[in-house]
Amino acid sequence: MAKVRFLKHDQIENAALCLLAEYGRKYGAVSEPPVPVEEILSAHLGLTLDFDDLPTRLGTPDVLGATWIADKLVIIDQSLDPIENPCKEGRYRFTLSHEIGHWELHRHGFLAAAAQPSLFGSRPEPSIVCRTSSRKEPMEWQADMFSGYLLMPTEMVLAAWRQRFGNLDPYIAKDEMANLSAKWGLADDERPTVDVAKDLARVFKVSGQAMQIRLIGLGLIRTEVPAPSLFKG
Amino acid sequence: MAGNPLFGSRIRELREAKLQEDPRRFTLRQFAVAVGISPTFLSKVERGEFDPPAADKIIKMAELLGVNADELLALANKVDPELEKIIKEQPQALPDLLRTVRGMSAEELRKLTERARKEQKD
Repeated sequence: MAKVRFLKHDQIENAALCLLAEYGRKYGAVSEPPVPVEEILSAHLGLTLDFDDLPTRLGTPDVLGATWIADKLVIIDQSLDPIENPCKEGRYRFTLSHEIGHWELHRHGFLAAAAQPSLFGSRPEPSIVCRTSSRKEPMEWQADMFSGYLLMPTEMVLAAWRQRFGNLDPYIAKDEMANLSAKWGLADDERPTVDVAKDLARVFKVSGQAMQIRLIGLGLIRTEVPAPSLFKG
Repeated sequence: MAGNPLFGSRIRELREAKLQEDPRRFTLRQFAVAVGISPTFLSKVERGEFDPPAADKIIKMAELLGVNADELLALANKVDPELEKIIKEQPQALPDLLRTVRGMSAEELRKLTERARKEQKD
């Protein structure tokens, strides 16, 4: 496993924005959502994208994505195929963008290791396996954070909010969340997704949950209880 | 699913070349949707794990990739379904012709085709 260097939030955001700008210079600026993550991965970065039954292939449960750095290969679990399972579109795009995050932020460590044949060679195992249960590891949350910034760039989110409300005033979601929690019988630490997050999620083609976390991170949705955020270590 | 690595790698090679020119139409997903198959199926076909799709899908692939459909159909070991229709238009003469030219080399067949084309024009 390559050593993971500490990265500040703004360094990760800059990495995502630089990538988007590089893609824009080559293929035309991306000024509106949804961000074309498949095109960025395949055409701009030249990575091969495949779908497969990853838990079976890797013998590991709950794997959604894996990256083979030396082979420039990303495989997404077939359960996220957005054509066969349209309801997984948001999860699929987040996972794809998460793997792009590993490529942008972490590949150098793996390529350095690859220079030592005894450590790397041509092993069939992926460099990075992304499991839903390993989200708290530094490399994983850095990739999660990158994914959020790439799929929902600050300026695009602010523009979408302004277009909807005519200003950047925050929405106080306390009452809506309390009503939804009561309606669904949620526990105190479970946070339901409010309508505005669901609506904008459709525009950005992300999950309602990811959109809500981003909006809370930007201060556009306010709650009384701090949310477990992808954007805070 | 036995798979056909030759067909799969040719499709991937052609698609990735097109991807550089037009990234919005030739990602795994967009190409699969345009052909009428799922991205997972296309991925496994390209890796040679699944057999090629039906002939009509291969013809659609050729059209999108700008190559001769017969090349891809031959790689997939399939025959253009339109041929059956053509043969039925002259159900005695055409099978007779095919039986007669059977065994000729590719070069001989090419020359014969050229002659037939020329005669049709004249």
